[in-house]
Amino acid sequence: MPAKYMIHTQTAPNRFKPFTKSGIIAWTEGCLGCRACVKKQCVYRVYINRGLDTKQMIDSIDNQCMNCLRCVQGCPMELIHKSINPEYAALGDSHWTPDIIAQLWDQAETGKIPVSGSGYSGPFSGPGFDSMWTDMSEIVRPTRDGIHGREYISTGIDLGGTPRHLTFTDSGDLESDQALLVNIPLPIILRIPFFGSCGKDIIKGWAMAARGLGTFLALPNEMIKGELVDFKENLIPIISPGQHCSGDGLEGVRLVEVPWEKNCKDISQKIKQAHPSVLISCRTPLVRGVEERVLSIVDSGVSIVCLEGSSWGQSMDDNSIFLKDIIRSIHLALVENGMRDEVTILASGGLAMAEHVAKSIICGADGVVIDFPILIALECRMCGRCTKGLPCPVEIDQAEPSWVASRVINLLGAWHNQLLEVMGAMGIRDVRRLRGEAGRAIFFEDLDRNTFGSLGKIGEGYELE
Amino acid sequence: MSEEKKLTLGLFYCQHTPESSELDRQSLEEKYGKSIRLFPVPCSGRIEPIHFLRALEELTDVAYVITCPEGECQYFEGNLWAKKRVQRTKEIIESIGLGGDRIGIVMNSKENPRSLAVLADEIMENIIHLKPSPVLNPYR
Repeated sequence: MPAKYMIHTQTAPNRFKPFTKSGIIAWTEGCLGCRACVKKQCVYRVYINRGLDTKQMIDSIDNQCMNCLRCVQGCPMELIHKSINPEYAALGDSHWTPDIIAQLWDQAETGKIPVSGSGYSGPFSGPGFDSMWTDMSEIVRPTRDGIHGREYISTGIDLGGTPRHLTFTDSGDLESDQALLVNIPLPIILRIPFFGSCGKDIIKGWAMAARGLGTFLALPNEMIKGELVDFKENLIPIISPGQHCSGDGLEGVRLVEVPWEKNCKDISQKIKQAHPSVLISCRTPLVRGVEERVLSIVDSGVSIVCLEGSSWGQSMDDNSIFLKDIIRSIHLALVENGMRDEVTILASGGLAMAEHVAKSIICGADGVVIDFPILIALECRMCGRCTKGLPCPVEIDQAEPSWVASRVINLLGAWHNQLLEVMGAMGIRDVRRLRGEAGRAIFFEDLDRNTFGSLGKIGEGYELE
Repeated sequence: MSEEKKLTLGLFYCQHTPESSELDRQSLEEKYGKSIRLFPVPCSGRIEPIHFLRALEELTDVAYVITCPEGECQYFEGNLWAKKRVQRTKEIIESIGLGGDRIGIVMNSKENPRSLAVLADEIMENIIHLKPSPVLNPYR
């Protein structure tokens, strides 16, 4: 058994004060000046330690408040109110919600699993991954605690395909080539997001994080120069669409990503000839008929397929189809054709939470590729100002590489622990066993159909009165 | 006028100001660049003299607050408190010789509500005659 894979996290403080969900509105006018002022009695000393961050005009009473609402209820003149902070509400969009962004910031800072507090009030179902409920039947067994417990839960996956069968010579020696596999201890690969104020230092920080975690960072081939050359072993050069690539400059890399296009087969063969030990991953957008395309890619000998969904976790050409449904149908198509073990399926697009990793794998992916979470780990607010030429409100490009690496390692440390929690609760000890285990989850659509699908239908021989 | 000496406005605005979404805010930032700093607040009554004073000290040459129309405050009296606080802050800065017109309040109209962009344009026109603040941190 390999040594237990642990991600060592260390607090990496925010550079800017994060927005908090609610704000306090405390009026001084009309104050009775009571001896037992609820402000003085605040157990968190929020009012006594009040300060103002003038850079962003953030009042410390908002950031330090723990939402006990004692002051709101206790003030005899009802001068204290709580309200949703408009800056917080404006974060992100409908998929990258303020709550998700705030949780990612918190995990990147502390490296700890987020705790939501006193109970969860719902909603209990929603679109996309939110319509999946994972199995927790073995949550009662404390020894299955993969984080601190005795049992070893493996989160390692193999990148690459295994042959359908082996052939031997007459003398009994192996005739076929050995499968080319690369093992990573975490089913998560990093990719540079398509927007964001990312300078050289940021990319270096991400590469340092990929090396520290033992995984990969995918980035455009032309970006790999200067200091990044030292990180080649943990980098995946992405060949741009239409770019001619004969394999030059790929020395030292273990994996290359090529986009799906008509000549991708030629490119991959050229790279294979020049560098037989390099694995090739083909990235294909999730559009209608992608199942057929994946089958043809696997048929052409490519052993890794990266499925690229939209940034909102949907199909690229139909936002009513979610990533989870496409992964399932691709996985089942490969199983039906007896090709599933010949390819590693990586899912990407809109993966925003640790639970999305486990759910993608349950749907049939081997691993995932994440992009925006590694940007949000650097305090990004997903405001899109950088795409309009406006200055980044949190000056991401000024961040130090070591801080960037620590934040990403913290985030993935928290995600890794959550993956262990989810797998421990299912009684599964190897993430490779989780692949395609749809029986380990309940899908809301199926439950809804099975429970209420027959309502309103009239059985044969019956008539409505 | 050089970029460094451009007049800057710190604008606090009630979150219920019409057309004051994140996109509207970014459009204003694109239009005015570094001359404007926008701060949406849950209620204009949240702004206290210290916010204005610290803004004038470290952030901008002028500070304004936009409130919802009188009688329309979600917290009943927030905009009325804001009005009194602005007056109090004006007195403070006048007493140190800075000029009370560096602080201002704009109450939106109930009958003819104006958008954030329109109000920001009006405020920008109102303050154009002012000179850069002598107290603003020159190393900002």
